[in-house]
Amino acid sequence: MDFIFGLLKAMPGSVAQGLIWGIMAIGVYVTYKILDLADLTVDGSLCTGAAVCVLLTLNGCPVPLAMLCSVLAGMAAGLITGLLHTACGIPAILAGILTQLALYSINLRIMGWGTDNGSKANLPISVDKYGLLVSSRYVRALDSSNPIWVLVIFVIAVIALLYWFFGTELGSALRATGANGNMARAQGINTNFTKVLGLMVSNGLVALSGALVAQYQGFSDVNMGRGAIVIGLAAVIIGQVLLSRVFHNFALKLLAAVIGAIIYYVVIQFVLRLGLSTDDLKLLTALVVAVFLAVPYWKSQYFSHPGRKGGSVHA
Amino acid sequence: MKKKFLALLLTLAMALSLAACGGKSGGADNPGTQEPSSSGGDAKTYKVGICQLLQHPALDEATRGFKEYLTEQLGDAVTFEEGNASGESTNCSTIIDGFLASGVDLILANATASLQAAASATSTVPVLGTSITDYATALEIGDWTGTVGGNISGTSDLAPLDQQAAMVQELFPDAKTVGLLYCSGEPNSVYQCTVVDAALKGMGYDVQWFAFTDSNDIASVVQSACDVCDVMYVPTDNTAAANAEAIANVVLPAGVPMIAGEEGICSGCGVATLSISYYDIGKIAGEMAYDILVDGADISTMPIEFAPEVTKKYNAANCEALNLTMPEDYVPIAAE
Repeated sequence: MDFIFGLLKAMPGSVAQGLIWGIMAIGVYVTYKILDLADLTVDGSLCTGAAVCVLLTLNGCPVPLAMLCSVLAGMAAGLITGLLHTACGIPAILAGILTQLALYSINLRIMGWGTDNGSKANLPISVDKYGLLVSSRYVRALDSSNPIWVLVIFVIAVIALLYWFFGTELGSALRATGANGNMARAQGINTNFTKVLGLMVSNGLVALSGALVAQYQGFSDVNMGRGAIVIGLAAVIIGQVLLSRVFHNFALKLLAAVIGAIIYYVVIQFVLRLGLSTDDLKLLTALVVAVFLAVPYWKSQYFSHPGRKGGSVHA
Repeated sequence: MKKKFLALLLTLAMALSLAACGGKSGGADNPGTQEPSSSGGDAKTYKVGICQLLQHPALDEATRGFKEYLTEQLGDAVTFEEGNASGESTNCSTIIDGFLASGVDLILANATASLQAAASATSTVPVLGTSITDYATALEIGDWTGTVGGNISGTSDLAPLDQQAAMVQELFPDAKTVGLLYCSGEPNSVYQCTVVDAALKGMGYDVQWFAFTDSNDIASVVQSACDVCDVMYVPTDNTAAANAEAIANVVLPAGVPMIAGEEGICSGCGVATLSISYYDIGKIAGEMAYDILVDGADISTMPIEFAPEVTKKYNAANCEALNLTMPEDYVPIAAE
């Protein structure tokens, strides 16, 4: 009974973290599902967002403005990956890896801005000294200081904005690029431009998530993005597998990614509470993602529904 | 089929809303964590959460020292909840949050990211850090007085850096260039290198910094360092510790002796070190925890504590390989 009680008490924390990483998952959704690209930039741009946000806040910049700059920095990272991919002809997955690698150094430089050494691996930021929007300190508070409210607003705003964007001509062109690149080009869409744009939107969202993670946990760290892509993919896939039958609207599909992220963190918390050795955590994560990836495939193999394959985009 | 999924969704929604309620009641009785943990009579029990950043021999030792001391003192009255973030710093938040949810009486934060996550997550539950080199850097404290204040204190793994620099001078007075090797991803290492750099320059050495990023480029960075340095120094760097053998494979053939910031690294690739025991600093954190839990000591006034003794040690095998003889007062590192 104690176990269940403890787990329930830990839920607000899992929900808050799930909401933050849900924004990141939406970013992954944009590239992985809509654009049909595997973008590994996110492992680096998550930290870029965090680093920019913390650095600017420490230097007296208001938090919302700092977060806006984070988004812009993330978009710049996406731009680099996009240009490496489209203008330099590097395969998308490799372009992402290259940017991610470069961002490690850049993130060190961002966090070390203004220090003697010019490079720093970790920047702390205290909720007591700065007006942070979210902090793990108040996750069990009953009033308006609870970060979950702010995060819910963020998630709704992001989904609403993307819903609007993917309904515009430009957004539709982006979706067409992912659905069928050749056909999109035949319709006069510059697919190189839309790919770059998609990567920028995605990494902007990931950086926003990074800025929130840093505020929530109270520091940015050069290693914080390690494995982020796996969490993002896990969230997208869990959301899709569990909710694709009931969520057909595009906005709801984005919401499914957020719910997937929440479920992911609930599962992690559950695993931690079970007393399972955390040494095995990464193996478990990989297994969870693999199973959730395999289930839809098995379904299509053994219980096939003709005509449902590939038709994943309904706006 | 559709119904089934709907049912699943509803169950999930229910579970989540239930969870939210559970969490809120948790928040309400959070300040009074002491009450529910005392189970009648004088048998007061304590729940301690231990969050460790990654699997690492030195950090494991600190955790062991902490647990052994408290178990020895309190026996069955103390229970531990342990979490290891496996190197993913964001996991620390998840682990710490779990501790707070289950109402721990005290948190041991092993390594920097754990401490930062704990400091961010609570201002009421006492947090003891260990294996942290510099609390001022880790917690962004401008005017450092030796005490963190608030709900945080702990032990530092810092061996006296000026004495380490002095060791370079004692053993290699004729060397000209000293290379400082560290991982660019570790703030503690940069801090130590900065201090050692100043001390060595004060002694008239030429100092050069060599940063590597991970196990992939460490060999080539060390190789280029060997080309220009007479002696090398490596601080208490976790990545260097994990790659000590890879470093040894470069420095020993190149004939460059290395002074290490801690014993673990020295036993792999170094010739000599000023050693602190991570078991000891963990144990001291355990003593501090005992004072806080049992004697009701005020954590906000407790200064950061350091390892009680430092020992000059040397790696016999590596010294032999490099034809070095160590002074009398150096103790060989025990072979495993």
